[in-house]
Amino acid sequence: MTMSRAGLRRVSLLLTASALALMFLMSTAVPAFAADALQGTTFTLNQTSGGKPTRFTFSTVVTQQIDSLALGFPEGFDLKAITLDVVTLDGLKRIPVTFTQSVEGQSVKLVFDPPIKAGFELRVQIYQVVLPMEGGQYNATIDYVSAGVPGHTTTPPFSFDTFTSVQAISGWLDEQGWVKSWNSVKFLNLFMQPQMMVTSAPILFTGWLMSIALVGVAFPFAIAGGLLLAFAKMSKLWPVRFISNIYINVIRGTPLFLQIFIAFVGLPIAGMTGIPLFPTGVIVLALNSSAYLAEIFRAGIQSISKGQFEAASSLGMSYPKAMAFVIIPQTVKRVLPTMTSEFILLFKDTALLSAVGVFELMLYSNSIATRSGNLTPFMVAAVYYLIITVPLINWVTGLEKRLAISEGGQAASDNTGGRRRRRWWPASASAEADRQASAAQHESR
Amino acid sequence: MTQPIVRIQNLKKSFGSLEVLKDVDLEVTKGEVVVILGPSGSGKSTLLRCINRLEEPTGGHIWFEDVEITDPKTNINDVREHIGMVFQSFNLFPHLTAKGNVMLAQRKVLRRDKAEADRIAVEQLVKVGLGDRADYYPAQLSGGQQQRVAIARALAMDPHVMLFDEVTSALDPELVRGVLDVMKALAAGGMTMLVVTHEMGFARDVASRVVFMDEGVICEQGTPEEVFDHPKSDRTKDFLGHIR
Repeated sequence: MTMSRAGLRRVSLLLTASALALMFLMSTAVPAFAADALQGTTFTLNQTSGGKPTRFTFSTVVTQQIDSLALGFPEGFDLKAITLDVVTLDGLKRIPVTFTQSVEGQSVKLVFDPPIKAGFELRVQIYQVVLPMEGGQYNATIDYVSAGVPGHTTTPPFSFDTFTSVQAISGWLDEQGWVKSWNSVKFLNLFMQPQMMVTSAPILFTGWLMSIALVGVAFPFAIAGGLLLAFAKMSKLWPVRFISNIYINVIRGTPLFLQIFIAFVGLPIAGMTGIPLFPTGVIVLALNSSAYLAEIFRAGIQSISKGQFEAASSLGMSYPKAMAFVIIPQTVKRVLPTMTSEFILLFKDTALLSAVGVFELMLYSNSIATRSGNLTPFMVAAVYYLIITVPLINWVTGLEKRLAISEGGQAASDNTGGRRRRRWWPASASAEADRQASAAQHESR
Repeated sequence: MTQPIVRIQNLKKSFGSLEVLKDVDLEVTKGEVVVILGPSGSGKSTLLRCINRLEEPTGGHIWFEDVEITDPKTNINDVREHIGMVFQSFNLFPHLTAKGNVMLAQRKVLRRDKAEADRIAVEQLVKVGLGDRADYYPAQLSGGQQQRVAIARALAMDPHVMLFDEVTSALDPELVRGVLDVMKALAAGGMTMLVVTHEMGFARDVASRVVFMDEGVICEQGTPEEVFDHPKSDRTKDFLGHIR
């Protein structure tokens, strides 16, 4: 019998290893009188955050007979609505128990008649204890009477998080009829559960800021790199052209996903360890985008009609002067829409970094979805992406219209900016730019 | 005889295997208005574009005043300052206003200060009849107005010679006149001009010399009366017959 009791304890030890370890630490600190009446005490709650009713499970092995027991909860715990369930076990066998219960202030008092015999395991479940809003670490007090001798100890510490306004809204939603009927539709529940929207939105916000930071830091570097590469590609020196060409083609010819894996998996294997995730992500994005921007800039410069360069030349302007005062100012206006679309693409591409553990929007939503089994976080993430992309798309469309008017139908340039994805800008505009780009070969001047 | 301002000797230009100019000789003296006529593809535009080396000649020599343009050691940008050119397609800088167009090269090439460049720009725009359009962007101007801004832009550089490359060909008929009037006034003011055009009336009224080109050679040249009324070459006769 002692063997089986010990065995049972081992099981509970396995189940609540950390709580038990804490308990042993506690029991050594507790005053000596009759403290050994209870052993292997565990005290668990069913809730991770405050403000909600929860179930507490108090479990202990009785080494001396117990006449009565009072579980004292700290201030702020609401015991008004509690119900109790008491079980005693002799090994694996349930022993019926009769008791009277009462709530005195912050204590739940149980008087056993007959007393619980030594060697039994006592398990008390207290339902509907409403936790305080404020989270933190708490202990409950245990006062008991063993064969007329009073004893006192405390439970192992337990903790929960502060009840946030998000949880309050979520809890409120739980109660609403329309939410219940909404969630009774499987599809709506899976993809658009109101409670999940409310709880995941603040967490995803952090990821959203991370995604914005990634692209916000990477893009200026990409612009600088792109300009450099564009001029290198139009250089009169063939080795410069050659190197620039190889770089652009290799980057544009391989998936960004592959480049990310090379940087994040390959570099540490090659011995370059200790580079933090964020800068590595920024570098990969910037290197990738610079190749696309280089083509956008080059096409933009070459889409300026040859006549512009000739007019500047005929006025005695040198190549750098013509570039600086005539060609580039016109190019900026023309490539702005394509550049913006490249920005949009790069922003969306930050999602790929989730695969290597950069905690941005996609990884946050994925981890919540995986943990909860609910796909609503993905929908919330979609909204976060759209907050950035839709205004930019509208802005670009307006910009292209104005550009088309100011240039009398010769709309924005793009041909090579087209990435691995569909373009959403009008194709007619790029056809014109294509024609101009091939007509205006400044090198053949 | 005064020293010619432009002297072209044995000029040749090929695009790949296509020989566009075959051994052209031409001299233009100061104050002359030389109108170059000829069917399309005869090489007249190429000839004009060789004079400021927008096209690189394949052979021969060109002198502008005392400088040999075709000498590789010549800094062509220094020469181009003094040779104004007006194009068929206007080629105004669309990101700048009319005045901005006229000011840009004054500021960046001649290094005139802003006030002076501004004054000259307005002066030139008034001269071509566009004083009230100084702050308009090219897209807000008609083709004829754009072309006159282009002329003002070239004139603001105080050129010694002006090249006009089919400047009215892209214009609607009703807009041609304004541009031709500006050119006539310019000729009357003593500007040396080389004009490639299809405007026969202009050639007859304004030209001091008419040059007829075909298939990369100069077939005939002389006063407008000589060329138009008594053409010697069969090709000239044929060409004039077609356009009458």
